Formats: sequence, C-alpha cells, structure tokens
Amino acid sequence: MTRLTDLPPAQAKRLAELECPDFATRPWVTGPVLSKRRVAIVSSAGLVVRGEDPFRGRDADYRVIPADTKPNELLISHISVNFDRTGFQEDWNVVFPLDRLRELAAEGAIGSVAQTHYSFMGATDPVLMEPHARELAGRLKSDQVDAVILPPV
Amino acid sequence: MSALGHYLEEEGIATVAISLIRPQTENTKPPRALWVPFELGRPFGPPSDPAFQTRVILAALRLLESESGPVIIEDFPDDDPGATPDPAWHPPFIPVAVAAGPADSLSSRMEAEGVLLRDVHQRWIAQHGRTTVGLSGLTIGECARYVADWLRGKAPPSPREGFSPPLILRFAVDDLKAYCLEAAATGAAKPASRQLGDWLWNETATGAAIQALREELQASADDRLKLIAGNFMVPAARVRV
Repeated sequence: MTRLTDLPPAQAKRLAELECPDFATRPWVTGPVLSKRRVAIVSSAGLVVRGEDPFRGRDADYRVIPADTKPNELLISHISVNFDRTGFQEDWNVVFPLDRLRELAAEGAIGSVAQTHYSFMGATDPVLMEPHARELAGRLKSDQVDAVILPPV
Repeated sequence: MSALGHYLEEEGIATVAISLIRPQTENTKPPRALWVPFELGRPFGPPSDPAFQTRVILAALRLLESESGPVIIEDFPDDDPGATPDPAWHPPFIPVAVAAGPADSLSSRMEAEGVLLRDVHQRWIAQHGRTTVGLSGLTIGECARYVADWLRGKAPPSPREGFSPPLILRFAVDDLKAYCLEAAATGAAKPASRQLGDWLWNETATGAAIQALREELQASADDRLKLIAGNFMVPAARVRV
C-alpha cells in the first residue's frame, strides 16, 4: 500500500500541489450499458512499442499500441524515476490491462476491446497534450470506441 | 491522467480515469475517476493477480454506467495485497568483492556484475516470457560500458543515431536498472518493490555506480546532462545524501 503519506515528504507535496488545468466546462458523455461498450486504454505511462520512438523528455504527443502487441514488445519510457516499475516488469497488466479487458470481453462483461490503444507521457503539461488528445478522439471514434479507461503510472 | 479525460469527453468519448494521486484528481475534476490506494507505478494493483486486477478495472468501468456525474471520484476500497515483503525472497548472489569493493574500481565492478547476473536474467526471461530491457537499443554489456565510460570521465559520444548522449545515457541507466531488478525477482518468491529497491540501491555495484555518476555529473557544465543526472536516474527516495 502506498498513499501520499508513504512518499518522501518533498515528493508528496510536489505531487499533491502540482498545478492542474482549471477547466471551465464539465463534459459528460453517456452511452450504452457496459456489456455493449467498446473499450480502449489510453495510458499516460509513456508506453512505447519496442523499436519505436520512445518518449524523449516531455513529448506531448502519443504513441500507438496495436491490440496485437505482445507483452515482450511493450516498454515504459516515462521520464520519472519516482514510481515502481517492478510490477510492470512482472506483469504488464499492472499498467496496461489488455489481457483483463480481453477476458471481460470474452465473458460479455464489456462489448469488445478496441483495435488500437494509446499512451501519452504523464509528466508533460496536459495543456500541451490537448491538441493531440482532441485529434486522438477522432481515431478512437473511427474504431467505434465508446469507452476509454485512462490509467496513470 | 484526468485532464485527458476532460479533452476526450469534450470530443464526445466517455472516459474513466484511474487516479493514484487523489488531490490532483480533485483539482482537475474529470468526468469520472476511480482513486486506488496503490503504489505509484501500479494503477491496477498487484502483478500476477488477475482476479484483483479485474476487480479494479470493473470498479472503474462501472462508473461509466453511473448517472450521478459529472464529476464522479470514487475510492477503491482494498489495498494491494502484494505490497508486503516476502521473507522467503533472497537476492541473487554477487561476490562481495564485486558488489562492494573500492570506489576506484566501481565502473569495472558494475560491468562484472552485469556479466554475473546474465544467467539469472535469462531465467527471468524463461519464467516470464519477456523483459522490459530495451529502451536504449543497446545490449546490457554496451549499456554497462557506456555508463562506465561516463563514470571514468570520458563523456563518450552517443552510440545510437538520433539519440543525444544525455538521452542515451538515461535509457542505458533505465535498462541497467530493469535488468538488475528483473534478475533479482527471478524465482518463486514474491518480493515487494521496496525489497528489490533496497537491494539495488544498497547492495549492488550497479546501484552504487548510478549514484556515483549522478553525483559526478552534478558538476557538469552541460545543463541538460545535469538535469537528467540530477532528476532522472536515481529515485528521489534513494538519493544518497
């Protein structure tokens, strides 16, 4: 178990007080029941498929992770060293739960799993990610995605 | 990453964020978020525990069916059962002359340690079918040599086109850490991340070499190198004082 109180005080304070965008709107999209939804993962763990261009510093764009990516092909190129990587090393589902989503789809708990998943690098200022996120929405829609899970790291 | 949820939802796609740092999520006010009481780096909890991971995912996805928002921030009720130390775990054997010899032999000891861990790391790959080593695109031997050259004060050129020396140094350090931590976790025991970190940073030549390089590069005239060495090699909680 790790809550902010378990982190070194300076790190906990920095994380808790990190400046976040102040949004004027409160968007809210509804949809069908879960068993009819098509789900994509949009991570902010700086994930990159082996051999492709890793995140450099604080790149604001995203990387594409096709659904047929194998566990041995996924790497974390997040700039921060202040989070555990040993969980991901043992089991990619700790960060990128593609196997779990496939099981849920097979059981009928969700409708289907997207053809493509994505990752940003979460230490980047979210304001810089905005144009990329809006462009990504179009790609998700063209894959019929109507549910996105957003895991950090 | 709650802000991404805001942008995607504005574009018409329903989202649910996993939150590891509740105050950030409270400030960003995304459409929906599930806060989880897990260690940073483990948004879905323990490795190799599919039932627990599925509970986390379903708790998050079910928020998509809730009509009580915006904004929904719900708390996942259970702690990570894999976060406790395993007393049965033992680190791989490294002769004390390699792990803790004199400071002037640190770079050679780190290179020797990489060779000593090769077999156990091969067993890790056989056990898990994967490795997360590979960001630098170099072999582990090349990573160790590159870091050792920096430690010897050589400021070596980047061995990879399109990657600056500070960038490839960061990735080489990432690969060395992943290699050691994977090797250390090989076997049936289930060490907690803290046990593995204690071993890497307190009991290996590789950990000591990365610490020493971090300290050495603080004196560099290259601001980018200084920034990377200072912040992106050694976890804040492990920086030697």
